[in-house]
Amino acid sequence: MEGAEHVQPQRRADEPGAASAAVDRSVQLLDGAQAHGADPADHDVAGQIGRPRTLATSCHGRMTLDPCARIRSARFADVLDIGGLAKRFGTRTALEDVTFSVRPGEVFGFVGSNGAGKTTTMRIVLGVLSADSGEVRWKGSPLDEDVRRRIGYMPEERGLYPKMKVGEQLAYLARLHAVSAADAAAAVTRWTTRLGVEERVNDEVQKLSLGNQQRVQLCAALIHDPEILVLDEPFSGLDPSAVEVMSRVLRDKADEGVPVVFSSHQLDLVERLCDRVGIIADGRMVAVGTVSELRSGGGGVHGADHRPVLSRIDVVGPPPGWASSVDGIRVVASDGAHTRVELDGATDQDVLKAALAAGPVHEFSPYRPPLTELYKDVVSR
Amino acid sequence: MTGLSPGQAIGLVARREFSTQVRSKSFAIGIVISLVIFGIYAFIFQFVGSQMSSSTLGVTSAAQPVVPALQQAATAVGRTLTISEVSAADGAAQVQAGDLDAVLDRSPGWTLTGRDAVGDELSSLVSTVVRQTTLDQALQSAGQDPATVTAQGRVTVATLEPEDPERGQRLGLAIVTAVLLFMSLIGYGSAVAQGVVEEKSSRVVELLLSTIKPLHLLAGKVLGLGAVGLLQLLILGAIGVVVGSVTGLLTAPTAAAGALVAAVIWYLLGFFLYASVYAAAGSMVSRQEELQSLVAPIMFPLLLPFIFAVSVLPGDPRNTLATVLSFVPFFAPTLMPTRQALGVAAWWEVLIAIVLTLAAIVGVVALAARIYRNSVLRTGARVSWAEALRG
Repeated sequence: MEGAEHVQPQRRADEPGAASAAVDRSVQLLDGAQAHGADPADHDVAGQIGRPRTLATSCHGRMTLDPCARIRSARFADVLDIGGLAKRFGTRTALEDVTFSVRPGEVFGFVGSNGAGKTTTMRIVLGVLSADSGEVRWKGSPLDEDVRRRIGYMPEERGLYPKMKVGEQLAYLARLHAVSAADAAAAVTRWTTRLGVEERVNDEVQKLSLGNQQRVQLCAALIHDPEILVLDEPFSGLDPSAVEVMSRVLRDKADEGVPVVFSSHQLDLVERLCDRVGIIADGRMVAVGTVSELRSGGGGVHGADHRPVLSRIDVVGPPPGWASSVDGIRVVASDGAHTRVELDGATDQDVLKAALAAGPVHEFSPYRPPLTELYKDVVSR
Repeated sequence: MTGLSPGQAIGLVARREFSTQVRSKSFAIGIVISLVIFGIYAFIFQFVGSQMSSSTLGVTSAAQPVVPALQQAATAVGRTLTISEVSAADGAAQVQAGDLDAVLDRSPGWTLTGRDAVGDELSSLVSTVVRQTTLDQALQSAGQDPATVTAQGRVTVATLEPEDPERGQRLGLAIVTAVLLFMSLIGYGSAVAQGVVEEKSSRVVELLLSTIKPLHLLAGKVLGLGAVGLLQLLILGAIGVVVGSVTGLLTAPTAAAGALVAAVIWYLLGFFLYASVYAAAGSMVSRQEELQSLVAPIMFPLLLPFIFAVSVLPGDPRNTLATVLSFVPFFAPTLMPTRQALGVAAWWEVLIAIVLTLAAIVGVVALAARIYRNSVLRTGARVSWAEALRG
């Protein structure tokens, strides 16, 4: 199978051993920042405040320090491998060599602009569309119908029978996934309660608000206790409390050991929720990795490794203008005592010395761009 | 957790289709509407029939001598003739007012005057009687016995096969069978198409096909809706037989039961044939509105036998074209049972038609399944024939 060959290099790229020198430096910088006890980002990106929690608690934080790397390797056979998918619609190439893997217990965020190929990829995983080449493997073997039946799926275009009652509909879908009638009834109660739509089980789906329909749609994806979750835009159109509930559910499913893949345009949410992120543009995967890996310039695929964005440093303290005379750095942004510089030949230590020479340094930390910025950067390359 | 067997998957889908459809308002409404339509038709036939077979005639005093002969002739052909004596002027006025159908006068030639026209039956009745009376008188004047002359010129009508005493009943049954089959096939065939489009337009099909095969979904839908159609057919048939027997309209229950059995068999054959086509059509469009133009041609083969059954076969049960078409698969499901009800189809003819239809079902189902599989996940513009038939 041609696709299998594509899988191998990608796995290696994801392995801890692939770390670059730039990453090592960034880790030192990060450690330094933490020693100062400051969050380098909290004054310019409010959404970042919650992020370190995810990175700190996740198995897949800093790749060089990853405590779970060995465990992950041991469970490698359990991954959902998407290998070298290609798909053409007439003359249009929808996917070209799309390769990534999702591990059990991992929430994988799939991002990309409209028409980039997210939905096509997911439909191929679900078997509702067939790939021209490449394959999807689960626990080492190609995904067959039996496994596909154990995937929980939320299609991009929401799909439920509008005139069927919520409870009946969910029970029916569970039964189609080979769940017994009794278990189906129990699952309907469990999931509608969990997602807060238990009072609507006897209402027709079309009578529910869009947000509630979406909760029911997630129930439909979860009703058969799936081994894998594939959700296309599960968060679009949800109110904040529903986003919270759904995030919690996805996290919990991942913690049960289920690989969770979802696509979204809400990059802050992806950054907060996902262990790893895959960025697709024009049918090609342009980056795969943890947000930190993307930040450090890792995660590039097809040999497209790039200049690490992490070579930027936030300095708070010295009076404005101190950095303009320093060789080998470039001032990216300046706001009062806060200066953001980009290393362009100089090292972080050079910057620190220059800053200290100019005045007292209160904060010195690597700038960690949010996923939004990384995304723009990666996609525009 | 093991997967579903094809049978289980089809069964689940079929059960959902059946219970959803049977519990829907449209099912009960469909039965009520069908009964109302049949009731109205029965009433109209009855009413028009009685209108046609009775007439009022004004006869002037000059024409009075033929009155007894007119009454006698009317009774002989089963018509009700109400005769009143009028003056020529009065009679004309009453005809003008619509109180009389026509007025008969002799001054000295015979005239039968109606308002716009005189009904064929009335005019031929009157003409025959007047001519006969005139001839009789002429014969008597010539010394001949009219009865002897008439006997010499009599033509005896006979049939090679004994005339069926239940012919009228059979005709009624044939028409009812044709109408029932027509309604059931159209109704539940389009229900299949609409169901397919509903799943496409609501996108639920993608969710369903992530767990079961397209063919199983299609088979479940066709079987489920087909069962609903069968149930409706049986309910209507049973009501028809019971009401017919109770009111005395139906005096040939054996023929009726036979017609019902034939209707059920042909409904099943026809349904699989047409439902497959309807399902394929439904899978090619994404919205209900687009469906109409695509399914309109499917109506044609269903409509044609219906027209035959209602307009041609009653007068000419062995019509050659109808006989030939009753073997052709898409026409057979309504034409053959109509011929059966009329009692003009031999058992081997029925058998051949059934075998041909079964063969057609195999081919059509395979083709429809391919179109369905190729089209059901494509949304947006109508799927082209080339794309639908590919692979």
